[in-house]
Amino acid sequence: MTAAALFQSILASLPEIVVVTGACILLILGQFVRKEQEHFLVWASVAVVLIAALGTLMLAGEVRPAYSGMFVADRFAVFFKVVFYLATVLTFLLSRRYAEIEGIGSSEYYVLLLLALLGMMIMASATDLLSIYVGLELMVLCTYVLTGFLRLQRRSNEAALKYVILGGVSTGIFLYGVSLIYGLTGTTQLDRMAAAVTGDPLDPGLLLAVVFIVAGLVFKVGAVPFHMWVPDVYEGAPTTITAFMSVGPKAAGFAVILRVFLNPLVAASDVWIIVAVIAVVTMALGSFVALVQDNFKRLLAYSSIAHAGFAMFGVAAGGADGVASVMLYLLIYAFMNLGIFGIVIMMRNGDFSGEVIEHYAGFAKSHRGLALLMLLYLFSLAGIPPTAGFFAKFYVLVALVERGFVMLAVIAVLLSAVAAYFYIRIVMVIYMREPEGTFDPALTPAVGATLAFTAAGTIGIGLFPAWFLRLAQHAAVGG
Amino acid sequence: MTIPLLSLIVFTPAVGAAALMFIRNDNVVRWMALGVTVLDFALCIAMLGGLDTSTHEMQFTETRPWVPALGITYALGIDGISAPFVFLTALLGWICVLASWVAIDRKVKEFMVSLLAMQALMLGVFCALDLFLFYVFWEAMLIPMYLIIGVWGGDGRVYAAFKFFLYTLAGSLMFLVGVIVLYFHGGETFDIRTLMAQDLPFQIQSWLFFAFLIAFAVKVPMVPVHTWLPDAHVQAPTAGSIILAAVLLKMGAYGFLRFSLPMLPEATVHYSTLMQVLSAVAIVYGGLLALAQDDLKKLVAYSSISHMGLVTLGIFTLNLRGLEGGILQMFNHGVTTGALFLSVGLIYERTHTRSISDYGGLMKAAPVYTAFLALFALSSMALPGTNSFVGELLVLSGAFAANLAVGAAAVLGALLGAAYLLGMYRKVALGPASIGVRFKIRDVNAREIAAILPLAVFVVWIGLYPKPFLEIIDASVKHLLAQVHGKGGAQ
Repeated sequence: MTAAALFQSILASLPEIVVVTGACILLILGQFVRKEQEHFLVWASVAVVLIAALGTLMLAGEVRPAYSGMFVADRFAVFFKVVFYLATVLTFLLSRRYAEIEGIGSSEYYVLLLLALLGMMIMASATDLLSIYVGLELMVLCTYVLTGFLRLQRRSNEAALKYVILGGVSTGIFLYGVSLIYGLTGTTQLDRMAAAVTGDPLDPGLLLAVVFIVAGLVFKVGAVPFHMWVPDVYEGAPTTITAFMSVGPKAAGFAVILRVFLNPLVAASDVWIIVAVIAVVTMALGSFVALVQDNFKRLLAYSSIAHAGFAMFGVAAGGADGVASVMLYLLIYAFMNLGIFGIVIMMRNGDFSGEVIEHYAGFAKSHRGLALLMLLYLFSLAGIPPTAGFFAKFYVLVALVERGFVMLAVIAVLLSAVAAYFYIRIVMVIYMREPEGTFDPALTPAVGATLAFTAAGTIGIGLFPAWFLRLAQHAAVGG
Repeated sequence: MTIPLLSLIVFTPAVGAAALMFIRNDNVVRWMALGVTVLDFALCIAMLGGLDTSTHEMQFTETRPWVPALGITYALGIDGISAPFVFLTALLGWICVLASWVAIDRKVKEFMVSLLAMQALMLGVFCALDLFLFYVFWEAMLIPMYLIIGVWGGDGRVYAAFKFFLYTLAGSLMFLVGVIVLYFHGGETFDIRTLMAQDLPFQIQSWLFFAFLIAFAVKVPMVPVHTWLPDAHVQAPTAGSIILAAVLLKMGAYGFLRFSLPMLPEATVHYSTLMQVLSAVAIVYGGLLALAQDDLKKLVAYSSISHMGLVTLGIFTLNLRGLEGGILQMFNHGVTTGALFLSVGLIYERTHTRSISDYGGLMKAAPVYTAFLALFALSSMALPGTNSFVGELLVLSGAFAANLAVGAAAVLGALLGAAYLLGMYRKVALGPASIGVRFKIRDVNAREIAAILPLAVFVVWIGLYPKPFLEIIDASVKHLLAQVHGKGGAQ
C-alpha cells in the first residue's frame, strides 16, 4: 500500500478514527473524573459523536473505497451513520439522569456506547465479509456488556447471559457461512464474489452459505426465527440501552443485510423468497404476541420485532426503491422509537418503574404535553398519518407493489392493523383511565430536548417527507 | 395571486385547534372554538357564492408539489359533488360546538381541539384532489375520532372506540394497497383528475373495486360490516354522534362517487347489481333492526344504516335520477340524522336516559323540543314537504328504472322507516308522562335553538324548493354519468 493510498484510506475512515480515539481518551479520562463531574463525560461523548458526524458529512461528497476493498465511505454508509449518530447522541442525552437513578453512571458506560457506535459504523461501511464480521462483533460485544450493566439486578444479568450465548451461536453460524463462501468463491469481498461464481447461482453449497449468512444477520435485527433473545434482553437491559439497541444495532444489521443483498450474487438466487417468508412470520409474531404484553419494555420489544418484519418487506421488494424504503423506515423508526423510549426512561423515577403499562393510567390528566407526545409516537408507530410512521410504511408498500408483490403488501397492511391495536391500547390507558396515583417524571432539560427533537422528526418527516425521501433514494443507489 | 380559499377553509380549524392548546380558561375555549367554526362557515359561504354550477370542472383548485419523487402533490379543489359536503361539514362544525357547550364538562380544551382537528380533516377529505393527500386526511381522522368516542363517551366507550378504530383501519389499509396499485397502473401519479382519465384493464378494475369497496363499505357502513356503527353511535358524545352520522358516513359514499365510479367504470357497471342488492339488504335489515330498538341512539343509528343503504342504492342505479337522489339524500341524511342525534343528545342531557320506555308525554313538558323532534322524525321518514322526500323519491324512481325487485325492497325500507320513527315519536312525545320525565324538564334554550334551527331550515327548504341544491350537483353528476357509461359501455 502506497502512502497516497494509505492517506486516502485514513481519510475515508476519519469518522471511525475520531470515534475510536475519543473512546480511548474518555476511557482514560474517566478514571480521573470525580463522581459529581460525570456530566462532563456525557458532553464529551456527545462532542466526539458530533465531530465524527461533521467528518462524515464533509466526506459525503464522493465514494471513497479504502483498505484494499474492505471498506468504503459512500452515501449509503453516510445515511446509516447519520442514523447511528442520531441514536447514540439521543441515548447519551437520555442516559444522564437515568444512570443516576439506576446508579450505573460510570465512564465505561459511555465508552462502551461509543465503541458500539464504532462497530456499527464499520458495519455500514464494510464491503468485505470479514470487515463486516469485525464491525459486527465489536458492536455486539459492547451491547452484551451494556445489557448486563444493572449488575445488581438478576434480570439484567440473565438477559446479558442469554444474549451472549445466543449471540455467540449466531456469530458462529455467520462465520460458517463466510467460510463456505470463501471455499466456493475464493474471496470474501462482496464485489468479487459474484464475479468468482461461474456456474449456477443456485448451487446448493452457495445457497447454504447465503442462508447461513442471512441467519446470522437476521439474529442481529431480531427477526423470526432468531428473535427469541429480543424480549428478554430488551426487558432486562437498562432502558436506555434497550432504546439504543432497538434503533442503532438494528439499523446496522439492516445496513449489512442490504449490502449483502444488493450483491448480484445474492440477487440472482431466489433468496428473496426466504426474506419474504421471514418478513411475514416476523411481523405476524411481533404483532400478535405484543397484543398480550403488560410490560411496556416487552411490548416495545415485540413491537420492534414487528417493525423489523415490516422493514424486511422492503428488503424482499429489493431494487432501488426497496432499499431506499428500508433506509427511510429505519431513520423514521429511530425518531419515533427513541421518542417513546424517552418517555419510558423519563418515567423511571423513585418507586415508579415505568415498565407496567397499567401504571400509566390517567397520565394525560396531569401531564397533557407529555401525554400528547406519547400519543404522537404511538400513532406514528401504528402508522397513522400524518405522522412519519405512516410515510415509512407507505413507501415500503410502494416498493412492494412496484415489484408486483401485491399479496405481500396486503399481508403487511393486515398485520399492521393488528399491530395498531396494542399501540392504541396504550393511548387508551393514558387517556381513558382515571389516574391511580401521581406521576413524577424525571424530566431534565436533556430529556426534554430529546423528546422535542424526536417529536419534531416524527411529525416533520410525516408532513414534509420529500427531502428525506430524496436523501434515502440517493443513498440507496450508492455513489 | 388569488386567495387559496380551500386551504383557508381546511386549515382554519387546524390553526384554531393549535391555538386552543395554549388557552386555559374553559369558557374562552368554548367561545374560541365557536368563533373558529363560524369563521370557517363564513369562508364556506364565500366559497359557495363563487361556485360556478354550470361546469363539472374542479374549481378553486390549488396544486403544489409535495413529494415530487413519488408524484405526490398537495392538490385541493371542489366540484358540484364535493361542494355540498364541504358546506355540510362547515355547518355542522359550529352546531357541534354548540351541542357540546355544557354536555362536555371535563377536558373541555382537549375536546374542542379534537373537534376542530376532526373538522379540518373532514374538510380535507372532501377537498383533496390527490389520492395520497386524500388518504392522509381520511386516515388521520381516526385519531381525533378515537379520542372523542373513547374519552368523552358513555360507559362502554373504550370498547366502542376500539371497534371503530380497528374496523375503519382494516378497511382503509386495503384501500391504501389499492391506491398504490392504482398509482402504478395509472401512470405513477396520485392526481385524481389524471387517474379518472385512465383506462384500466377490467381485471385490475375489478380488484381495485373490491379493495375500495372494503374501505368505503366500512365507512358507509354497508351490511355486513356495519356492526361498529351502533356501538360507536351509542357511546359517542352528542357531537361525536353528529359528526359520525352527518359527515363520516358520507365519506364512504363520497369515496364511491369520487373513485369507484369514475376511475373504475367497467367494474362499477359490472358489479352494480351486486351493490344494489347489498344496498337493498342494508335498507331492509337496518330498518328491521331499528324497529326493535329501545335505545333512542341505537334506533337512529340503525335507521342510519337503512338510509345510507338508500344512498348507495341511488349511486349504483347509475342513472341520473338515482345518482342525484343519492347525493341529495347524502346531504339530507346529514342534516336530518345530525338533527336527530342532536335532539336525542339534548333530551339525554336532561334525563340521562336514552331508553324509549322511560319517556312519555314529553309534548306537555317541552313543546318546542317535541315540535323539532316531530319535524326531524317526519323528515327522516321522508314525508312530502321535507327534504328526504325529494331525495328518496328520486332514488326510488332511479331504482325502479334500474331494478324492479331492488326498488320494491327500498319501498319496504321506507315503510319500516315510518313504523319505527312514528312509534318512537308516539312513545316519547305523546301519552301520559312517564317515570323518566315526571320531574320538570325545561324546554330548549336559546343556545340549543341556535344549534337546531339551521338544520330545521334546511329540512323545510330542501323539502319545498330543492332546485338550488340539485343545480349545484347537476353538472358534475352528468359528467360523472358520462364517465361511467362512456367507458362502461352498457346502458
